[in-house]
Amino acid sequence: MPSSQNPSIAGLALDPTGVRPDLGDAEVLRVGPSEIHATLTALRAGGCTMLLDIGGVDYLGREPRYDVVYHLLALPAAAADVKTVGRPRRVRVLVGVPDAEPVLPSAIDLWPSANWAEREIFDFFGIRFTGHPNLKRIQMPEDWSGHPLRKDYPLRGPAKEATPRPAFALKSNVPAGAPPAGKVAAALQRQIARARGQEPPKPAGDEA
Amino acid sequence: MSVTLDVVERSGNTMTLSLGPQHPSTHGVLQVIVEVAGEIVERADMEIGYLHTGIEKSAENLFWTQASTVVERMDYLNPLGNALCYVLAVERLLGITDRIPERAQSVRVLMSELSRIASHCVWLGTGGIDLGAISTFFYTFDIREDILALIEASGGARMHPNYLRVGGINGDLPGGFLAKLDALIVKFPQRMRELRTLLQNNPILRDRMIDVGTISAEDAAAWSLTGPILRATGVAYDIRRAFPYSGYEKYEFDVPTRTEGDAYARFLVRLEEMDESMRIIAQVRQELERPGPIMIDDPKIAQPPKETIALSMEALIHHFKIVSESFRVPPGDVYQAIESPRGELAYYVVSNGDNRPYRVRTRPPSMYNLQSLLLMAPGGLIADIVVMIGSLDPVFGEVDR
Repeated sequence: MPSSQNPSIAGLALDPTGVRPDLGDAEVLRVGPSEIHATLTALRAGGCTMLLDIGGVDYLGREPRYDVVYHLLALPAAAADVKTVGRPRRVRVLVGVPDAEPVLPSAIDLWPSANWAEREIFDFFGIRFTGHPNLKRIQMPEDWSGHPLRKDYPLRGPAKEATPRPAFALKSNVPAGAPPAGKVAAALQRQIARARGQEPPKPAGDEA
Repeated sequence: MSVTLDVVERSGNTMTLSLGPQHPSTHGVLQVIVEVAGEIVERADMEIGYLHTGIEKSAENLFWTQASTVVERMDYLNPLGNALCYVLAVERLLGITDRIPERAQSVRVLMSELSRIASHCVWLGTGGIDLGAISTFFYTFDIREDILALIEASGGARMHPNYLRVGGINGDLPGGFLAKLDALIVKFPQRMRELRTLLQNNPILRDRMIDVGTISAEDAAAWSLTGPILRATGVAYDIRRAFPYSGYEKYEFDVPTRTEGDAYARFLVRLEEMDESMRIIAQVRQELERPGPIMIDDPKIAQPPKETIALSMEALIHHFKIVSESFRVPPGDVYQAIESPRGELAYYVVSNGDNRPYRVRTRPPSMYNLQSLLLMAPGGLIADIVVMIGSLDPVFGEVDR
């Protein structure tokens, strides 16, 4: 719906990045997936000591579909007081990632803090990072399907059957669909069965 | 502790233990899997995500005016700080940063500093409990209770008031607020003296904290540590000074730093930060004497005052439009950072011109701070992991979002 409120808005922008460089929050660079590692290496050598964050955005309908956004900060080497720190340089590097081949080189060799950030991008957007030592889901359960922050992932889905998980088990130790083990889980299953009006499964000891 | 330490695996000389996810010292729902040889940690890994609630996804599906309510739920010890960061980002995209009334800015600074003290109170109280200093908890929660009462008086709720709005604040400070604030300003130094007497030179606390979880300034940068943890390594990076927002450049305060980089240095930095926050609050208190507008003078963004709605057709229309379909934000992307009690909290907000944010990406300081446990824990004692987690002050609403 075109806006009647703000005449400066003509319609919806498919790629809002770079529309308004005047905001002045950071220096903005846009590179392709093949150049990203060389660019980050050069920036690291050029004083960007801190990789603040890696974010992802899904521009569904645009080609390339995803943006991976690196936020860098150049802290000076001597930074003992507020004056020497001053106003450090901020750099934002945007990389377009195509849907057909959602792969980027990992930045973990440059900044170890990229570890969890890249896992989160993989978890939420399905973009893989080559060279990452432990690329698995971080926020969603290991056996989850789909990548929730993609724009075609629904906000609400059909209610799924609640799958009781064994208490205090490692998320990664539980294979998908494994029946929960242990007394607590068995009691929970009996409760669930009673709530659904089904025959509760007998406790293991009763059969003998 | 032995109750919750389940042996997951045993091989050779090492044993793999699971600390958490339900353990009081993990300050939330965190599972640390440690491989120990005797009492020495050889390797540590973490499982997070137990508190994941999809806040970023929810925010994409709410109006610009509504999304501030969900972002407040991330860092539940500093909800007003999260809201402040979000509204600053939206205001920057709208291009109205310079038009926010002075009184609204003062109240925002007041709220964010009160939240900082309240958040550090929780850290100090629960961190004390981790080390066996139970009584600290009651001293710090006494201060926090006073602060939450102030937040409730102004915003209507103790934890998530949604008091900061795009364009200003929601309603002026109520009558009697300044008297309560004055009482807190008077009481606070005495309370801090008591806390320092209890803790600062306590031999048990010093033994547990000194040289535990030490991090160098280079490692802190490489692991993306910010806030008190970075400042405890000797780097005076404070966003309130480096990239001032909401008029922080007006106020006099120091940025406390230490050079040791261990848990005790972080403890001292946070204690000093509480004093500095109170210094800012005392300066803001002087400004609050002057009345003034608290919302931007722009009917497209600010809701009209309730009493005008029955009298003016325009006010009624504006009110209806803002409530039913919010406002539209010009396309663009912006990275807005603030100094949260835990470090650099930032939102990377993308607008495509619609009445909902296209993307609200958080830079969660807790997550990056917590990640550095992978670096700190190996080589230390298993009992020190508790101290390390406490000194990192993670908030799991923010780690998991």
